[in-house]
Amino acid sequence: MVRLITHNLLACHVKRCTTNNFPLQLKDVQLALREAEFNADFLRGFMPRLEWTALVQAACQVGDDSLPLEAPEMVDDEFLKNLHHVLLEIHIEEGAMVCPNCQHVYPISNGIPNMLLAENEIG
Amino acid sequence: MSQYLIVFAQAHEEFRLPELLSVAELHHFDLAVPDDLDVTRPFAVFTLDKEEHARLLARRCILIKSVYEFYARGTTYEELHQQNKAARPKWEKYTPDTSFKFVVNGYNQSIPKARQREVIENFSYMDFLGKIDLKTPEVTMGCFEEYRDTVGNTRHKHEGDGNFREAFFGRLLEEGTARSLIKKFDVKKRLYFGNTSMEAEISLLMANQTLASPGKVIYDPFVGTGSMAYTTAHFGALVFGSDIDGRQMRGKGGISNISDKLLDSVLTDAEQRPGIMRAAAQYGVEQRVIDLCTFDVTQNPWRCGEMFDAIITDPPYGVRAGAKRLGRKKERGMPAVPSQPRPDDQPYIPPTKPYELADLAADLVVLARYLLKPGGRLVFFLPTVTDEYREVDINTMLCGGMEVIANSLQDFGAWGRRLVTIRKTTCESFPPPTFESHAEEGEVEGAHIPAHKDFRGKYFQGFKKEFGTPVEAERTQDGG
Repeated sequence: MVRLITHNLLACHVKRCTTNNFPLQLKDVQLALREAEFNADFLRGFMPRLEWTALVQAACQVGDDSLPLEAPEMVDDEFLKNLHHVLLEIHIEEGAMVCPNCQHVYPISNGIPNMLLAENEIG
Repeated sequence: MSQYLIVFAQAHEEFRLPELLSVAELHHFDLAVPDDLDVTRPFAVFTLDKEEHARLLARRCILIKSVYEFYARGTTYEELHQQNKAARPKWEKYTPDTSFKFVVNGYNQSIPKARQREVIENFSYMDFLGKIDLKTPEVTMGCFEEYRDTVGNTRHKHEGDGNFREAFFGRLLEEGTARSLIKKFDVKKRLYFGNTSMEAEISLLMANQTLASPGKVIYDPFVGTGSMAYTTAHFGALVFGSDIDGRQMRGKGGISNISDKLLDSVLTDAEQRPGIMRAAAQYGVEQRVIDLCTFDVTQNPWRCGEMFDAIITDPPYGVRAGAKRLGRKKERGMPAVPSQPRPDDQPYIPPTKPYELADLAADLVVLARYLLKPGGRLVFFLPTVTDEYREVDINTMLCGGMEVIANSLQDFGAWGRRLVTIRKTTCESFPPPTFESHAEEGEVEGAHIPAHKDFRGKYFQGFKKEFGTPVEAERTQDGG
C-alpha cells in the first residue's frame, strides 16, 4: 500500500501551502513488492494524469530506474510493463511522506497514509 | 431482434430498470424501454438486438433471476396459446429430438402440482418428441402465472387458482448468475465488517450503477469498512478509498500503537493488515484496492481532478456513523492552537465538527464534478424522510454539468434511502471545490429545503411532524 501511483496523486494540502507542495518526499520507507494485474488500457489512459518527473524520481528513490526520464510519446509493451511495476507493484508499508515546502510529515502506518491536517493547518 | 422475458428477483423494484440500463451501457448496447413497462411487476418483456445482450444482462444484473426467450403472454391461457402457436418458428427447432422439461411457476401464489400438470398438458400441441429430462434438459420451457398481491387477505386453498393477472411463456436462455454474488459478499461471512457495513445485495447494485469493469478507477471518499470497494473491485475496477477515521479502515487487527505492542507480537503479519485488506484478500481482489488513505474529504490532498471513472459512496448520515469534518464546533469558539509535538508515536487526532447531510450531499456533487472524468458517474445513498420527500430535493444538490440519471428508493417506512446516480455531462475542467460553509445560503427565503436536511435530528425524533400526530414509529433496518 501507498503505491507510487498514489504517491503521484497526493500533494500537501496544508492551508496556504500551495507552491512546491508536490511531490511529497519519501522518508524512512519500508517496501513490499506485490504482483498486480496488468491492464494496458488502464496504463495508457492514466498516463496523462501522472506527473512524470515526480514518478521517475520516486521510483529511483525506492530503487527502480526502469523508467525513461521523459514520458515517451510512443509506448511499447516493455515500457508499459515497467510502468505497471512502478505504479502498482511497489508498496510503501511504513515510513512517511514529507512536504518539501512546509515540512508537514504525513506518516504511513500499516500501508495507510495519515493525511489528516492539524487544526492550525486547515482553512 | 428478438423478445426476451426477464424474470426479476422480488426485491428492490425501483432498482430494476436503472440496473438494466447501466449494464446495457457498460456493454455498449441499446436497451429500449417498453412503453408499458411497470417496474413493480416481476416480469418484463424487452426487445434486444442480439441474444448475447440478453445473456450479458443475466450474467451481470443482480436483480435478474432468469432470462427467457419470449414466446407468448396473455391474461388468459387462450390468448397465450394463440400467441404461442403464432411463435412456432421460434420453438419448432426443439420439437423433433431435443430433451426438455417444463416448469410452471406462480408469483404471489403457489401452484399445486395437479394444476401444474394440467398447465403443462395444455402445451401438448407443441408436440415435443424429445425425451423428458428433469435434471439436465437441453431446453427448459417456463410458464409463469403472475397473480395480484393478496397480502392481508386470507385465501382458501386453491382459491383463485388460474385467476391470474397475466401469464408468460418462453424458453430459458440463462439463469441470472450474478445473483449468487449476494451470497459471496454476505457481510456475516466477511472477515472484516462494522456496524455501518452495507448489505451485500445493495453493494452489488451500487457497483453496477458505477459501470465497474477492468481498467476503471473508482473512489469511495467515505470508505468506512469498504463494503463497496469489494464489489466494485470484484467487477475488475481499481479502487481508492479514504475516510476521516482510519480506525474504520484498519479495524482492530491492524492497529499499531504502543499499547498494542503486546497484541502486535501475537498477531501474524496477515492479521495486522488493515481490515479492509483482509476482507479484500478473502474475495481475491486485494490487488485491486490501490490504496486507503486517512483524510477528511473536505480537506483532501488530491493533486488534480478528472481522475476517476466513478465515485461510489454511502455517506455518513449522522445516525450510526457521525458525519464529521475537520474543524471545531463554532459555539465553543476555541482559538486555533498550533499542534503540540506529540509525546510519543500516538497518532494526532485533530478536532472534528458535525457535517450537515444537506451540505455534505451538495459538496459531494461538486467534488465529484471535479474528480470525475467526463461521463463519469457519482453513485451514492441519500437518506430521506418518506413523507417529506419531493422530487426537487435531489435538484437542491445538483450543480451545472451534473445530471441525475437514476434515483431509486429503498423504503424503510417512515424513512428511506435513495440510491442516486449522477452523470458528469460536462467536459469542462473545474477548480477544486472549496467546501465553504453553507450556513447562509440555506436560509434564503423561499429556497426549497430538502427532506434530507437535518436528517439526523429528524431520525432521532422518530420523524414526528412539527404539528399534528407523530408518524407511526418505524423500526429501521439500517441507520448507516
